[in-house]
Amino acid sequence: MAKKNRVAIVGVGYSDVSRGTGYTLDKLTAQASVAAMDDAGIKPTDIDGVVVHSFPHQFVSSTHTAAMLGIPDLAFYSGNVDGAAYSVAAMHAIAAIASGSAETVLTIRTVHKDGAAGGGGPVGKHIAGNQQLSQPYGSFAGSHWAGMYMQRHMAMYGSTEEDFGTFAIAQRKFAVANPTESFFHEELTMEDYLNSRYIAKPLHLFDCDYPVDSSSALIFTTEERARDMKQKPVFFDSWANGTTKEADFSLVGDMTHSSPWMASKRMWSRTSLKPSDVDTAGLYDGFSFIAMQWFEALGFCGEGESGAFVRSGATTATGSLPTNTDGGACNVGRRHGANFFIEVTRQLRGTAGERALPKKPEVGVVSNAVGGFAACALLTAE
Amino acid sequence: MTTEVLPPLPLVNELTAPFWEGASKGQLVIQHCNSCGHFQHAPEPVCSACLSFDLGSAAVSGKGTVYTFCIPTQAFHPWFEDRLPFVLAVVELDDQPGLKMITNVIDVNPDDVKVGDRVEVTFQPLAEGFVLPVFRPVAQ
Repeated sequence: MAKKNRVAIVGVGYSDVSRGTGYTLDKLTAQASVAAMDDAGIKPTDIDGVVVHSFPHQFVSSTHTAAMLGIPDLAFYSGNVDGAAYSVAAMHAIAAIASGSAETVLTIRTVHKDGAAGGGGPVGKHIAGNQQLSQPYGSFAGSHWAGMYMQRHMAMYGSTEEDFGTFAIAQRKFAVANPTESFFHEELTMEDYLNSRYIAKPLHLFDCDYPVDSSSALIFTTEERARDMKQKPVFFDSWANGTTKEADFSLVGDMTHSSPWMASKRMWSRTSLKPSDVDTAGLYDGFSFIAMQWFEALGFCGEGESGAFVRSGATTATGSLPTNTDGGACNVGRRHGANFFIEVTRQLRGTAGERALPKKPEVGVVSNAVGGFAACALLTAE
Repeated sequence: MTTEVLPPLPLVNELTAPFWEGASKGQLVIQHCNSCGHFQHAPEPVCSACLSFDLGSAAVSGKGTVYTFCIPTQAFHPWFEDRLPFVLAVVELDDQPGLKMITNVIDVNPDDVKVGDRVEVTFQPLAEGFVLPVFRPVAQ
């Protein structure tokens, strides 16, 4: 008979991260996994589940990962290439532990810099599948749909490039305070932001996450086991996926109300917590407009009001919702969602070091992706 | 030595053939369900509205509205290197609410395009006999 367990995060870890590690996907994966096991104070024999999310063209196998790490027997595993990046691994692991399918699950997201954003189409080859209905128009990269999502928001609500720039500036401040992880060490001015080149107008270079080689790992387990481990556990209070009826990011029915709205509504429907209970946020910033859509979808501000919300200072260290306190993926490099789960965990359990927020947070929210698919979760310190 | 750079060209399949054949005759042809009359783009093997597999295609009006757009300023494929900047758009067609396609808006200064602009289909030769349905502003 299935049981329902409370799920905790007990370990977090990163591989070496740089613009070009020269490491294989497997080596990065192993580095992050070992770091997460060290953080949790556990051994491979304590793990009975592995979930990996990777790109089809950068596939990392969950069973091979287990073998590489000396994990003897898996009660649960999955290797995913579909959906909302790291959060897919997290959602699978939560479901496995909550249902009793596994007890202690290693979750991983590994990404190589090159080709990670789907940059460019094959040259001199004919385009198979439905991409033949987008690539001949010059639609290749995430930056293309991202520019179109920004434009739609600007047209619907009168938001401006400066609104998105305000967010980029706010999270850069956190990055400057995180010198060991951030690739950027100087504050950003609005002039810097507006003068950064367009990739797909209105999308600027500084709206984009920073491509790196990285692997990120987190270990989840039951509350019962978590209580005996090295770190103070952080708990999942509520979690949810959401998708749109249209899978193609460029063709979703309503670009300003895409999958974050579905995931947020579902997440709030499963908890007694409210947006006003949340003390810190880690919101996906593959492009800065994505975090802005999450502010609106999660109900931290009104529809279309994310620009004013960020301008108010709410997302800074002393604001009502310090957001992306590690600096976000625009600054610490592309971790495809995992860094938000890791940083909010560090803040909630009190291991953020000098970045510890002035007011110790008790509740955090994390999110991943936008458009066709997304996920979010509420984390609590107790 | 110079190699001719070709645009991204389709590997036409059963589902996309009506779109490309229509374009070569100067028509915008969209997948159409023979059972319930639902248009869908991009084409799929089953109708998402009624689950019928009896799918055909039909020419549409070619009139629509700019739902959104961006102006790429970096080429992600060599064909576009000397075609920057251009307007990459999503156009919502008049023929069915929410029926949208990825396209280009041409014959306009990119900075003059606005969400909500009325546009109509026109046809641009690509290469190897392929023709691309694109849009241009409707004359005011």
